[in-house]
Amino acid sequence: MKALLTKGHESCSGCSLCLLVCPVWHARRDIRHTPQGRAKALQMGVPVAALVESIDSCTLCAACEPACPESLPLVDMMLGLREQLARDVPARLPVIDWRSGASPRLAQAVCLIPDAALLQRPDLLAKAAQQLDGMQVVEDAGLDIAEAIEAGQAIPQERWYGFLQALKRARRVVVANGLLAHWLRGSLPAVRIDSLAMALGSLEAVRSRLQPGDFYVIESRHYHADRERLVHHYDGLRQRSGCSMNLDLQRLAVPTTASSMATQRGQSGIDVLEQARWILEGTTPARIVVEDAADLAVFTAVSDKPVIHLAELGDG
Amino acid sequence: MDISVVEPGVIPVCPVAPDALQGIRRQQTNPDRWHGASWAPFAEAARAAGLELIDERQLQAVFITDAGGLAFGMPHGVLIARSATQIATLMKLAQQFAVPVTVRGGGLTTEGESVAYGGVLLDMTGMSRVLKVAREQLTVRTQAGIFWHSLAEVLRRHQLDYLSAPLNLTSSVGGSLGVGGIDVNSPRLGCSADQAVSVEVVTPTGEIVECSDTVRPELFQRVILGYGQFGVITEVTLKVRPYTPLRMHYIYYDSLRTAIEDLQMLDRDDASDYSGILTMTDKVINLLVAFDSDEREAAFNATWRGRLRGHGELAFCVRMGLGFLLKPWQLREMLWLYERRCRLFPEFRRAEHTRGNLMHDRTVVFSRAVWKHWGSRQMVIPDLATSTEKFIEAVERGNAVCQRYFRHYTLYCVGIKVREDHRPHYELSCIPPDARGHAYGCEFEPIMEDHNYSRDTLQAFKNDIYDIGLALGGSYYRFGGMMKGYIRRIFGDEVVDRHLAMKRKADPAMVLNRHVIF
Repeated sequence: MKALLTKGHESCSGCSLCLLVCPVWHARRDIRHTPQGRAKALQMGVPVAALVESIDSCTLCAACEPACPESLPLVDMMLGLREQLARDVPARLPVIDWRSGASPRLAQAVCLIPDAALLQRPDLLAKAAQQLDGMQVVEDAGLDIAEAIEAGQAIPQERWYGFLQALKRARRVVVANGLLAHWLRGSLPAVRIDSLAMALGSLEAVRSRLQPGDFYVIESRHYHADRERLVHHYDGLRQRSGCSMNLDLQRLAVPTTASSMATQRGQSGIDVLEQARWILEGTTPARIVVEDAADLAVFTAVSDKPVIHLAELGDG
Repeated sequence: MDISVVEPGVIPVCPVAPDALQGIRRQQTNPDRWHGASWAPFAEAARAAGLELIDERQLQAVFITDAGGLAFGMPHGVLIARSATQIATLMKLAQQFAVPVTVRGGGLTTEGESVAYGGVLLDMTGMSRVLKVAREQLTVRTQAGIFWHSLAEVLRRHQLDYLSAPLNLTSSVGGSLGVGGIDVNSPRLGCSADQAVSVEVVTPTGEIVECSDTVRPELFQRVILGYGQFGVITEVTLKVRPYTPLRMHYIYYDSLRTAIEDLQMLDRDDASDYSGILTMTDKVINLLVAFDSDEREAAFNATWRGRLRGHGELAFCVRMGLGFLLKPWQLREMLWLYERRCRLFPEFRRAEHTRGNLMHDRTVVFSRAVWKHWGSRQMVIPDLATSTEKFIEAVERGNAVCQRYFRHYTLYCVGIKVREDHRPHYELSCIPPDARGHAYGCEFEPIMEDHNYSRDTLQAFKNDIYDIGLALGGSYYRFGGMMKGYIRRIFGDEVVDRHLAMKRKADPAMVLNRHVIF
C-alpha cells in the first residue's frame, strides 16, 4: 500500500485542519493522536513503533482526508502505518478467526455485503435487502477481511482471492462497511461498488419519507471516501426534506465511531455516548435516522426520540 | 536579561534584538537556545507538583516549527494545558528555576514566535472547550486554546457567530487576542482583540486573575495585544452575535491605487459590513464587499456601487484579454492568471457553502482556499500597517518589492477600525499610533509554488518590506520572533523601554515567551 502512495507524511505542512474534524482529537485534545501529530513525528524520524498508541487510536472515520488541503491520502497512510506495525510488532495483533472454504458463488449480478452490526439485526438486513429489490445477501460477508483491513493485518492470499472471486461476476455490489467498500473499489475496478447508505438513500421510497423533524446520521467512512460527490447528494437530501444532519460547518460528517475497532477496543479514547450527545447538541429532532446499524443503540441511549435505521424508512 | 550577542565585537549590547541594528546585515536567526542548566531540578519539581511534562520526541517534533517553517527549535518538555491551576503551578516553578515557557495556540506564527528554543512548550489547545454560551447577553465564555472554527461550531448550534476572527480555521482565540486578529469585518468591528469582554490570565508569576476594561484594566491593556508577554490567557469572555450568511460582491480592478481608494471610501462611509482586497500579483485586484442583510446590500447598490471604479468579472476579463492582446509577450503571465483563476474561484463558490447569493461559513471558504492555494511548508507573510493616509504608498512600495523577489504573489489588504477607548491596548501593537478612525494593513505573500528560496532570500524580502514601514512610520502585525529587530526602531526607545520595564516587573525571571519581543 505504502509504495502506491504519491504523497505521504512528509507532505504534511502542519496546518492543523485535520484536528478540527478528528473525533479522537475532540475527545482527547492531544495532538499526538491526530494525523498531524503522527506526520510531524515521522518527519522528525520518530520510529513507527513509537507511535503505537496513536496509530491504534485512529477510528478511520476518514474525516481528515477531505479536510486536508494537501489532499493527502490519510486513510491509506494510516492503513499503511498499521500494516507496518503489524509487520514490525506482530505479537500485538488480534487473532483473527479466518473463514475457511470457498465463498459461495453469487446467484444474482447484484449483491449486498452486510457489516457486523447489520448481521446482528437480521430484521434490518432483510428490510434493506427488500428495499433493494430483494437483493441477494452474500453468505460470506468478509467480516474477517474487514477486521484485518482495519487492523492492518495481512490477509492470507487464498482467503482474499477467494472472496474477490465470488464477487467478480457481480455487476453491482452494495457494501455496508465503508472501509471494505473503499478496499473493494480498488480491487474490483470493473464492478460498481455502492455503499448501503447511498443505495438506500437513492431510493425515492426512502428519500420521500425523510421529514423536516428528522436528524439524519451519515455513516462517515463511505461519505468521506467519496465526499466531493456525496456532499451534493446529501445537500440535496437535506434541502428537499428539511431534515438536519450530522454535518459540521465544513460539511464533514461527525461520527459516533461506534463501529470502529479503535472505539470498540477502548483505544480511541472516545466515549460514544458523549460523542452522540455532541452530535445532537443544539438540535431538537423528532426522530433520528441512522445509516450505520451500530449507531442505533448509541442514539437510543442518549435520546428519548425514536431511532430508526435507514432501511426502516421505506416501511412508511 | 542576558541576551547573547550574535556577532561578537560588532554589535553593541542591546536588550532588544542586538542583531538588527542599523548598519549591520539583518540576517535573522533562531534565538539562542536555552541550554537547560536548571532543567533537571525543574522537571523533578514539576512532576512532584503533578505536572505531566512530556519529553518524548514524538511530541517535541510536532512543535519543532510554526506555520512559517523557517524557525526551528525543540523544547525540553511539553505540557498540554488542562487548567489555569496547572499553568499557575508551571509559572511559579518556571520563575523559581528560571526555565523559559513558550505558549502555543494554533502555531500560526511565521517568525518562530510559538517555537520553543528549549524550556517548556505550553500547548494551549489542550484547553479548548466552550464553557458557557449566554444567548441573551450575546456572550460566550470559552477556554482560550480553542480554535476559532471550533468555537464557531458550537456557536452555530445556537444560531450565533463570533464577531471577527482571522480568516483561518486553526487560529486560536488566545493567540489572536494576544496579537490582534484581523477579519474582513474589522473595518466595522475592529480586530478580534477588541471583542474580548474579559479574560482570565495566569500571570508570569503564577497568579490566576480575571481582568477587563474595568477590573484590573492595566493588566487587561497589557495582555490584550501584548504578544504573550504579560500572562497566559486561559479563559475569555467574548461578544458574539446572531449568525447571518453573507451577500458577496466581487469587484475587479487593474490598479492597486484605485482599488484601495475605493476600499477606503467604503470603510469611511460605513457602506459595507465586510471589505478587503485580495490580489493575484498586481494584475488582478479583487475588492470583496459583503453584507449581513438585504437592507445593507440594497443601500450599497443604491448609493455606493455606482461610485466604485472596478468592474464585474466578465467585463474585467474582457478588458484584461484585450490588454494582453496588445502585449503578447505577457502571454505566459496571462496563462498563469487564467489557470489560477480556474483553480481558485470555484473554491469561493462551492455549492455546499452557497445558497443563491448567500455565502455560508465564510471562514471555512476562505481558510480552505488559503491553505490549499497559498499554504506550504514554508510561508513568509511580511506586512505593513499604516494610517489611512500612508497606506497607498505603503502598498505600492511593497508591491514593487514583491516584484523584485517573486514571479507570483498575493496582497491582502484590510482596514481595522480603531477604538479610541482601546488606545492603551494598541501601544506596541500592529495599530500604528498615528491611525485615526481606521488603520490599514497589507500582507505581502509570495506564492512559492515549486520554487525553493533560501532563508537569506526570504529574510531579505521581509527586511525590504519592513524597511518601508520604517521609512513611512507605521507598524507591523508580525514584528515578533525573527523580526523583532524592528521593534525598537519602529516604536522608539521610550515606548520599548517602558514596556521592557513593565515586563521585568511582571516577569522577574523573564521566562514567559522570552524570545518573542524582548
